Amino acid sequence: MTDMPLSDTAAAPRRKAASLLKQDARTRRRNAAEKRFRLYGAAAIAISLAALLVLLATILTNGAGAFRQTYLNIPVALDAEVLDPRGNRDPAEMARVLTTSYGRVLDAAVRDTIARHDIRIEGLSDDDIGGLISREASAQVRDRVLDDPGLVGQTVEFDVLTSGRIDGYFKGRVTMDSAERDGNTSPQQLQLAQELADRGEMVTRFNWDFLTNADASDQRPEAAGLGVAILGSFYMMLVVLVLSVPIGVAASIYLEEFAPKNHLTDIIEVNISNLAAVPSIVFGILGLAAFINFVGLPQSAPIVGGLVLTLMTLPTIIISTRAALKAVPPSIRDAALGVGASKMQSVVHHVLPLAMPGILTGTIIGLAQALGETAPLLLIGMVAFVRNYPDGLPGGLMDPASALPVQVYNWTQRSDPAFIERASGAIIVLLVFLLCMNLLAIWLRRKFERRW
Amino acid sequence: MYDTSRRVENAVTPNDIKIQARNVQVYYGDKQALKDVDVDIQDKTVTAFIGPSGCGKSTFLRCINRMNDTIPIARVEGEILLDGEDVYDRRVDPVQLRAKVGMVFQKPNPFPKSIYDNVAYGPRIHGLARNRAELDGIVERALRGAALWNEVKDRLAEPGTGLSGGQQQRLCIARAVATSPEVLLMDEPCSALDPIATAQIEELIEELRTTFSVVIVTHSMQQAARVSQKTAFFHLGNLVEYGDTDDIFTKPRDSRTEAYISGRIG
Repeated sequence: MTDMPLSDTAAAPRRKAASLLKQDARTRRRNAAEKRFRLYGAAAIAISLAALLVLLATILTNGAGAFRQTYLNIPVALDAEVLDPRGNRDPAEMARVLTTSYGRVLDAAVRDTIARHDIRIEGLSDDDIGGLISREASAQVRDRVLDDPGLVGQTVEFDVLTSGRIDGYFKGRVTMDSAERDGNTSPQQLQLAQELADRGEMVTRFNWDFLTNADASDQRPEAAGLGVAILGSFYMMLVVLVLSVPIGVAASIYLEEFAPKNHLTDIIEVNISNLAAVPSIVFGILGLAAFINFVGLPQSAPIVGGLVLTLMTLPTIIISTRAALKAVPPSIRDAALGVGASKMQSVVHHVLPLAMPGILTGTIIGLAQALGETAPLLLIGMVAFVRNYPDGLPGGLMDPASALPVQVYNWTQRSDPAFIERASGAIIVLLVFLLCMNLLAIWLRRKFERRW
Repeated sequence: MYDTSRRVENAVTPNDIKIQARNVQVYYGDKQALKDVDVDIQDKTVTAFIGPSGCGKSTFLRCINRMNDTIPIARVEGEILLDGEDVYDRRVDPVQLRAKVGMVFQKPNPFPKSIYDNVAYGPRIHGLARNRAELDGIVERALRGAALWNEVKDRLAEPGTGLSGGQQQRLCIARAVATSPEVLLMDEPCSALDPIATAQIEELIEELRTTFSVVIVTHSMQQAARVSQKTAFFHLGNLVEYGDTDDIFTKPRDSRTEAYISGRIG
């Protein structure tokens, strides 16, 4: 019955004999559709690349300033009468002298410098001179003197922070025009700053303090740094790494290689996928209820942040690890079992090494996600204003700390425009960390990748 | 139709029975894959399992070293005795069993490690060598046994996956031989190889027979005729006929066997 000669299939429509050199309408339409589709694809990629470029350019132009800071270099006569009224250089007693006294000393030092350079500016007020340097400067000098009481009575060179407006002037954020309308500065003050800069007393240089300083109050954007936030984020990442990698990898190996396939494992599987899709703020509420209210761990502590982020990262790690394990060809498992390896040996000796690149990539992407996560941390109190560095490990896990993304959020809430520059700078730092982690993932993937 | 001239030199000598299968039934879930299989496999003999696809020959092969344990829905009933001991006895650890019953798979599946480590893996996990020198000896003997030594002796540290298909399969045979098994199971070992590599493997099987009992599943009836002394024909889950290879191919007793070897079914 299948032997019917093909030529007899009269029912089938015949193709018209047409030249191969000419495209028929159908082919033309198909080719046009294909071309359109390629254009759509290229356009989509172009749009996303443009968006990325705009984003990066905005952040870089806004944030680059945070890495430079203006300092005033002045000799300060540390007047013993003011700073150590009893004259016995006892640090305990000197600690009673408040920053206001140091402010007076600094004020005098600034006036001396102006007088020394013989700078005269029409309409320069006392407030303008006092406001030249940061309110943080007196604390800066005080800390230094308390560290070394022997300095009292001498004249010491200090690099003191200038105020945010002056710093902004040298970065182009503040202009003479804007100073006219600004209650916090005046054109005269900017002129003074310019004169001092021309004479080399005021310099704008790289700002290590941005990476090491703690946060500062609303009035002192020039002193605000990321130190506490970086340390807090680092502690949290440690907690996440230590907890989520062993738990996640062990859970994936068990589910993928050992668990019986039944309804229970099906339910677990579905729920792991669901957990990956739970909004992160929900994990924050969970952390607040479980770790702070129930277990009684301290608020704002990296340990709590780490635990919450671990819960968030686990599904990511489990899903990618299981995918990596699934991608190992079954013939490798057969081969190992065939020579008499136990199930565990076949997994540890053969399957895991082959799945390693995938597991590592998944883990690092999970960690990178956790590093940038903000919402759950807001709920467990990491948004607090933290001036003190957490202790070293492991005690520091319980100390209040901030986190990089939360610090960004925090700074964008503040009124002083200098904080916008700081926030953009913090975003750059965060992006650099993420970039490093992704590079690490790529490097590890290359290193462990093997053909089979 | 088949070349039987070589058969004379390979004349089957009566040997001890190595594997006895009694009333073996295999189920995959509700579906019965193998019915009432009774077979005696002799020591130092090549036994070929032939039959159309899906007839249960590979299933039976995988029962002998309990590789079917890895399939959750597979269920085996009946007895398979290796030297008189039931391999499905509750006390049997499949890991120990598989050290005694080696297996070579359809597709060459060397580990993505060096040639040396591929062969040394079995001896290492079974603790067969006390030191590096002993392990070197085992690896060399296994590679010689698999007729691969001369080709790879200068590049033992290179990855096993870099060898050609035929070499990979011989590496897998060396890997199986290295644990000094008593039985070697081969599941269509030549189906992914070209004719020259196939000829090499077949020659090798001929030599392996002096040391092991070899059981080979094959789709090629010519191959079964060339390498085996005993042949079992499976059809639709039944062991239809089992006997000397010469008899099966020249005077089959069952009409289904005749139909299969003459190419009318399968």
